[in-house]
Amino acid sequence: MTESKQIDHSTLGSYRIQPNPRISVTFNHENNQYGGGDQLRAHYIVEGIESHSISAVERSVVWYTEGKGEEDLGVIFFERIQLDKRKDGAQMSPTSLSTDHLTGALATDLPLSPLSYEGIIVKIRWCVRIRIFFRSGRDFVSEYIFFLGSVPVARLPVKIEK
Amino acid sequence: MRLPTFFSKKRGDRRTGLPAWGSLGEGIYHAVLLVAGLTIGVLMLAGVAVPEWRINNQFIEVNGRLIGKGLARHTLRDVFGGAKYSWRPALLVQYEVEGENIESWNTVHSSETSETRAFALHELDDWELGGQLRCWYDPEDIETVVLKQGYSWWLWLLALLLPGALVAFGVTGLIHSLKAWGRSEERQAAQFGRILETLGSPLPETTGFPTIPACDNLVNSPGTMLRFRLPTESPEAWSLIGAGLFSGLWNVVVILLAVNVGFDIAGGRADLWLLGLLAPFTIIGLASIGLFFRQLLLVTAIGPTHVEISGHPLRPGNQYQVLLSQAGSVSFRRLELFLELEEQATFRQGTDVRTERQVVWQSLIRRWNNVEPLPGTPFEADVQLELPSQAMHSFSSTHNTVSWRLVLRGVPERWPALVRVFPVVVFPAEIQSSDGEKVIVLTQTSEKS
Repeated sequence: MTESKQIDHSTLGSYRIQPNPRISVTFNHENNQYGGGDQLRAHYIVEGIESHSISAVERSVVWYTEGKGEEDLGVIFFERIQLDKRKDGAQMSPTSLSTDHLTGALATDLPLSPLSYEGIIVKIRWCVRIRIFFRSGRDFVSEYIFFLGSVPVARLPVKIEK
Repeated sequence: MRLPTFFSKKRGDRRTGLPAWGSLGEGIYHAVLLVAGLTIGVLMLAGVAVPEWRINNQFIEVNGRLIGKGLARHTLRDVFGGAKYSWRPALLVQYEVEGENIESWNTVHSSETSETRAFALHELDDWELGGQLRCWYDPEDIETVVLKQGYSWWLWLLALLLPGALVAFGVTGLIHSLKAWGRSEERQAAQFGRILETLGSPLPETTGFPTIPACDNLVNSPGTMLRFRLPTESPEAWSLIGAGLFSGLWNVVVILLAVNVGFDIAGGRADLWLLGLLAPFTIIGLASIGLFFRQLLLVTAIGPTHVEISGHPLRPGNQYQVLLSQAGSVSFRRLELFLELEEQATFRQGTDVRTERQVVWQSLIRRWNNVEPLPGTPFEADVQLELPSQAMHSFSSTHNTVSWRLVLRGVPERWPALVRVFPVVVFPAEIQSSDGEKVIVLTQTSEKS
């Protein structure tokens, strides 16, 4: 009976609104600058949160468009780590994630395109996204921009004469 | 207690709502649409399709005799108390079913009624009292008899259009909700992105270069002097096609209308409404033919433009030879060849889908003043094209595009200004990886001839 009560308290606690976690990501390149075909390695730390309130962590490397048009999204790396205990009692946790300190690392080869682009009505951005799923059903997402290529920022239309 | 937030940050760190509840709400909404569509569909089928099918497949044919005729009037009252009448011939038929003589008024579909009493009366004259006729009776209710079989396909189409749209909308929405159920946008893109890209990508991609459109169509035409001849995307050609389509369709409607009016007049009836409608329709039809031929003259008189290039796809920092050829006998006050970078964004505004274009970079390659063509010889010019070393590559995704093109702008004598566009594909510059080794990228073509 006592044990059952403890479990109930623990379960209820996980459904309380959690404070926003603090996530920090470090990249293996200076200024987060990469070239097409480079290997991106990133290390992240999640702080300010009770680990038992998390049900899953998703980490991904994505590009997305910003600007006037609808957003387009491309995913070149995606991994979901389920932290909930499964019915058979086993816990899914890959070697690249430490559940004690909620740290993790990811590595992927970047494609040759699309390059990061700062246009006028179309912008292309690359980022590492860490999404944390709480047992309450809510999630928290944090993204860290990096740059693929070094295309200069587009300016308002100027006629360049030869 | 935390109050619900109605909006949140789109970027950076953010806590989202409850996506599962969002998907559930969407799912319920689309399920309601689906059920409504199915219900209306079933009602439509029961009211239109099944009775017609029964008449054509289950009613039994017998020989009958016309023993009475008259006009049946239907009164339709509107909410303001006004009345609208429609008329149809009502025929009393006598026929025999298993030795029993049956007398019954024929059943007529509502589509066979007329709003004009005179027209219904005219139809009634075609039936001769005492004459023999073929009729079909319902074996389940032998007093229900019809004098005509067949399907009214247009009625089926109209009746099934609304439920069909609701069912299609509901099913696609439900699939979308199921796809999104408990999944983040990254997970959806990772799991379903490849399928959607294959099915719905606006342009095929170049192998090894995601989001860069394939340039197969740009390198399949060899040039006469240089390696490739570029296809054109002339706005004038689209205007010509548009004018031709409009003119064709409009004049088909005018012809159908004129034939209908002609038959009416031949039959001794003249519908003033139709006659009144025919006059402005004919004027618009003639004007559209004139517009089409003016556009055709504009395209053909100025003459075709050809652009050849020494290499394709293009690479930032590289130089290419370009051959411009302008045929025709028209003199130009000015001809200009530009290299342009255009951004294109597609977005929804209310229920409309809009596309906005913006030229973000433009470089004049060469300008020619007072171009006078020699008889039988096209104007030809050989120019050098250099792409900036840090140029953005071509990019194409579902809603956003960054595209490069060569644009010829001309001001002919006595003709409207000319714009002809020749798309090109630009790949990223050859890349030095962090360990100093050059990344070897296989392309479909070499850069120089």
